[in-house]
Parts: sequence; C-alpha cells; structure tokens
Amino acid sequence: MNRQSSLPFVFLVPTIALLAILALTPTLYALSMSFTDRSLFSPDFNYIGFENYLQLWSDRRFLNSAVVSVKWEVITVTGTMILAVGLGVLMFECASPRARNIYCLIFLIPVLLPRVCAAFVWKFAFHPLYGIVTYPYRAITGKPLDLLADPTSALMVVAFVDIWQWGFFFAVIIVKLLESLPPQPIEASRLDYARPWQIHFYITIPMLRAPLISLALVKAIESLRSFDLIYVMTRGGPGISTETLDMYAFSQGFIESGKIGYASSIAVFMLILTIVAFTIIWKKVNK
Amino acid sequence: MVKHREEYLVKRNTCLMLSAASAAVIIAAQSAAAQQVCTSDLKILAQPQTGLATTESFAQEFRGLSGVGFQVDYLNENDRRARSQADASIIGSYNVYYVDEANLAQFASSGWITPLLDHYPAEYDFDDFDPGRRATATYDGQVWFAPITGGGDLMVYRTDIFSAAGVEPPKTLEELFAVVEAIHDPSNGIYGFALRGQRGSGANVWRWMPYFRGFGGEWFNVDGTPAFNSDAAVRATETYLRLFEYSPPGTRTGSWDESTGAFNSGQVALIVESAPLGGMSLNADASNVSDKVAFGIPPEPLTGGGYAHGFAIGTRGNASAADRDCAGLWIAWATSKENELRRLAAGQSGELNRTSVFNSPEFSEAFGEALPAALEATSAVTKVNFWQNEKWPDLGNRWGIILEELITGQRTDIQDALDELEAYAIQITAN
Repeated sequence: MNRQSSLPFVFLVPTIALLAILALTPTLYALSMSFTDRSLFSPDFNYIGFENYLQLWSDRRFLNSAVVSVKWEVITVTGTMILAVGLGVLMFECASPRARNIYCLIFLIPVLLPRVCAAFVWKFAFHPLYGIVTYPYRAITGKPLDLLADPTSALMVVAFVDIWQWGFFFAVIIVKLLESLPPQPIEASRLDYARPWQIHFYITIPMLRAPLISLALVKAIESLRSFDLIYVMTRGGPGISTETLDMYAFSQGFIESGKIGYASSIAVFMLILTIVAFTIIWKKVNK
Repeated sequence: MVKHREEYLVKRNTCLMLSAASAAVIIAAQSAAAQQVCTSDLKILAQPQTGLATTESFAQEFRGLSGVGFQVDYLNENDRRARSQADASIIGSYNVYYVDEANLAQFASSGWITPLLDHYPAEYDFDDFDPGRRATATYDGQVWFAPITGGGDLMVYRTDIFSAAGVEPPKTLEELFAVVEAIHDPSNGIYGFALRGQRGSGANVWRWMPYFRGFGGEWFNVDGTPAFNSDAAVRATETYLRLFEYSPPGTRTGSWDESTGAFNSGQVALIVESAPLGGMSLNADASNVSDKVAFGIPPEPLTGGGYAHGFAIGTRGNASAADRDCAGLWIAWATSKENELRRLAAGQSGELNRTSVFNSPEFSEAFGEALPAALEATSAVTKVNFWQNEKWPDLGNRWGIILEELITGQRTDIQDALDELEAYAIQITAN
C-alpha cells in the first residue's frame, strides 16, 4: 500500500472508530433493550422477542405520534425552505450589499438563541392573557386567544417557532449562495427584460438545486431533534396533539411508566423509519 | 395605622430572627462536638419552594455543621419527577431527592431511596413534624422523607368580588356552581374559578380526585378489580369539565403555577387549591390581592387532597453509611425548626410542617386568626385521594393525559376515555 492510497485510511479509521464508539454503542444497546421488558423499577428483565414491536401497532398514542412526527417534518421543512428562499431572494433583489450584511447579522440571532430560551420566550409571547402575539386579537375581540391549548393550532404554533429559528438562518445561507452564482445568466436575462421572479424561478433556483436539497435534508434531520422545543412549549399536549415519536418514547421511558424496553422499541422504529425515508428521498432527488 | 403595622412587622421579624438565630447557635454548639460526617459537597434535586431559597441563604451554617456545602438544582414538578425517576434508578448523581406522596411508594419499593430515620440526627426531633405529614412520609412501616411542605386543600376567595356580587362562600358543590356563575365576568377580567388542566398525576388528576372521591369513587371494587370507569368517575369528570368553563385561559394546559398565578394576579374570584396558596395569597410580594382574600374549607362533598413533599436520601448517590449520614444531616438541618422559623419570619407559610411552629405565638401573629383556623378546619376533610401504590404514577400520568385531551376538546366521550383508563389499569395490575 503506497502512501497515497493509505492516506484516506489514516483519516477515516480514527473517525469511524470514534463514531462506532459514540454512535454505534448506544444504538446497539437500544436495539438490544427493545427486545426486553426492562423497566426503571427493577434490575431484572427478560428477552421478549418482538412483543414490544407488536404492541406498538395497537397503541393509539404511538400511531398518533407517528402521524404527528410526519406532519411536523413536512410543516417545518417546507415552512423553513419557503421562508428562507423568499427572504433570500428578497434580500438579493432589494438590499444593497452593505444592507444585506446587516440583515444577515440580524437574521443569525434566532438560531443563536438556545432552543429552550426561544421556546420559553415564544411560549410567553403566545400567552392568552399577557402575550404580545395574542394582544391584537384580544384588543379587537375582547376575548383571549389560547392557541397553545387548542389541539388544532398548537402544532402550528410550535412549528412557527421552529421555522422562525431556522428560516432566517437558512435565508442568510441562500443569499450568500445567490451572491456566489455567476452573474452572466442573470445579467443576460435582465437584458431580455425578464422579471425578477422569472429570473429566480427559472434561473437561480434551478442553479441552486443541489445546495437547496442539501439544506432541506439538513433541516429534516434537525426537525427530528426538536424534542426540547416541543417539550418546553407544550409537553406533547394539549392532549397528545403535539406528541412526536421522540416525545412519546421519552414519556414512556422516563415520565410515565419507566418502560425502557418499550421506549427503546419506539426509538428503534424511529431510527429505521428515518433511514428508510431519507434513503428514498436521497435517491429520488439524485436521479 | 400603616406605620403601626410596619413597626409591628419589624418587631415581629426581629423577634423571629433572634429566636431562630439563638436556636441555630444551640444546634451549632451541639453539632460542634459531633463528628463531621461529610466529605464532599452535596447535590440536591428539588422543586422550587420559596422557603428553600431562604434555607439556601443560610448555607454557611450547614458548612459549619458538616464541613461541606451543597447545591440545589430546581425543576418544576413534572420535570422534577421525570428527572428524579431517571436519575435515582440509573445514575445516582444526587445525594438527596425531593419526593412526594404520589411517588413515594415507587421510590421506596424500587430501593431508590433509603429509610430516613437511621440517618436522621435525633436532636432534630422528627416527631415534632405534623402527624399527618409523618404518616404521609411513611410507607411499608418506615419513614422515607422529612417534609418540606404539605397539607390539604383550602378554598380561597376574593372578599371584594363576593361583596359586590352579594354572594356568600359556597358550602356545597351546587352552591359553588351558583356562586361561580354569578361572579364569572371574563369581559371585565374576572374568572369565576381556576383549575389545573396540565397532564400529570400531580397536576390535573390531583385536582380531579377530590371530585371523584367526593362522589364516592373508589379505585377498586370490593373484589379487588379496578373501578376506574365507575359512575363516580364519569360524574367527577363531567363536573370538572363543566367547571373549566369558568377557568381562565392558560389554565387548560397549566398547573399549580398557572392557576394560583391567575388567582394571585387578581383574575380569579374563587379557587380550591393546596393549602400553601393561603399564605401565598396573604403575602403582598407574591399576591396582588393580599388584602382582600378570605379562606374556607372546600365545598361538600369535595375531599381535600392530603399531600406532603419532602427530602429523602438517595441510595445510589450515597454509597457508604457515612454518605447517607451526611445526606440525613442536610435533610434534618434543612427541615429543622430553626429553618422553619426563618421561613415563618419571611412570611413563607407554605413550607411549615412542625407542630411546635404551628402552635407558636409567632405563627398566630404572622397570619392572624383566619388562615390558621381555616387550615385547622380543612384538616377535617383532608383525605389521601390517590391510590397508594408504586404503580400509581404510571396510572395517574396516563389518566392525566387522557383528562387533558378531554379538557382541551381533543376527545369528548368521557365514558370511552375512562374505559381506556380502566383497560390500562387492568393491564398494569395484572402485571
């Protein structure tokens, strides 16, 4: 093996070894746990085969949490990308380079806020009696507006906070991507009297297809880890209307029943679902 | 009049502080002779209590007793329960856990906490605690925690609103509905009643249980089979949901903080809540309505929810007997008469548990006659409402989520909801 061909191994082996220790160990442990009836209340446990997995399909809360998780992914990824592309294009078209830099600095603030802080701030902003967001409704109708206690709006409110945190950050990335594009196609289309929306719809956005897909996938992965945001704002409620798979797994493992084995089976299901879904999406968009 | 009151308060607080300080000196002198058992700082997991903040401000006194300091991590009730359950069962990073009546059986039977009295210094006089609190701290014949707060339920109402509406404090549930209907005026920012809607055996279920038990509900039939979907449970749930029509927005997904916060901020005319609200509502620093509240016992047939929270010695976090002695010393010190007197001086009535403090002239002087009388009267209707079993947190939390679904309108069929709870109760009791 010559030096050139061994170099990738020099870099890869320690990284993969570290990854194997940090990621694979708990994953395998969770997989093993998912086949047991392990609970927090006793050190003894039995291997029970696929019983936990079979039980999942008759558990209405699990089925609900799977649906909520899919809804959450679709809403937050779509919302973030729409906001990011819209704002990115708007900044590119309407703001001077200096103003763009100032906007970019401001737009970075939401994502720099710790997730829990953002959740608390927005939770108070949506308070039915004191919240600034609900104030106009109160002022006009004289009635309070409790969006976080309404099963039909709670998920949208939490998704709004997620989109607020990430949409502005992604807008900064998109405006920088637009700035990095070769100017000739844009200038040529302007000479042909193309309208700004036509320029972006037919030229710049298609040119940015690959990075935009990457951004969407990054956001999709990030959205899977929104436990802290949902936990602080609604705890999965009202009822089970914002209870995602990770929230339900945590609830089963540590809040309600101490069923570590059952919680692990939910986590493993989520892992498998994520791998399959992302593989399919990745293959589709790479065609 | 105001000046006279201020002078009185200054004198009263000075007296209380002096008596607390003298007692602390005595304790310190006693303990100086004792061997210092602690070797490293203690970690305590607790839920916020104003009295604990007062205790923390005397941390140097504990360092003098033990030679070490301590750190208290605070989490709200639901988070504290989840965190302590996970930590006590697997990690053991805390020396002392804040436990409550609802999860005591679970913690004790799982071996996550250690019997307290083996490590509780005798000079701190455990028997001085209120007998009801001591009984709640006992499980399977052993004492597991020293109480930091406890009691039953109290009805607290606004005298100004009641006078304006010409209504009397309700004595029965029928009267409660009539009064609440008469004073409910949300367009002017006044809500008739306040409840807890947030999920949890210690949240919405805690406030629902007095209706269930008051209507004659029992958790189990005489043959030992679960009776969670009985007529009493249906009626209690219907009543609870009906009363929620008068509860302020924010309480549908809120718990103690939201409902008592709504009362103390002046939005609520009447509330039935855990007894510490009485002292809080009189404290001008915490309440906008401190000069216009009165107290009573919960309307019939509601049973007051007897409870106690306190500190217990963690098993995993204290490997040796010396470690457990150290944790026991901290618990004894934090819940000592001296610290209770300091809380009393600070007007923190919710964290008082000792009979010697309740019977002291300082207590009567601090809270007048109305609150102590109401507290005494309410003890007659106080009961243990929940199922005293290690499986209660699981079942209670399950019901909490279903009840939250009903409160927020995510489901509407009460019988179906209770049947689901019944099925779960059969499943976990069979296991």
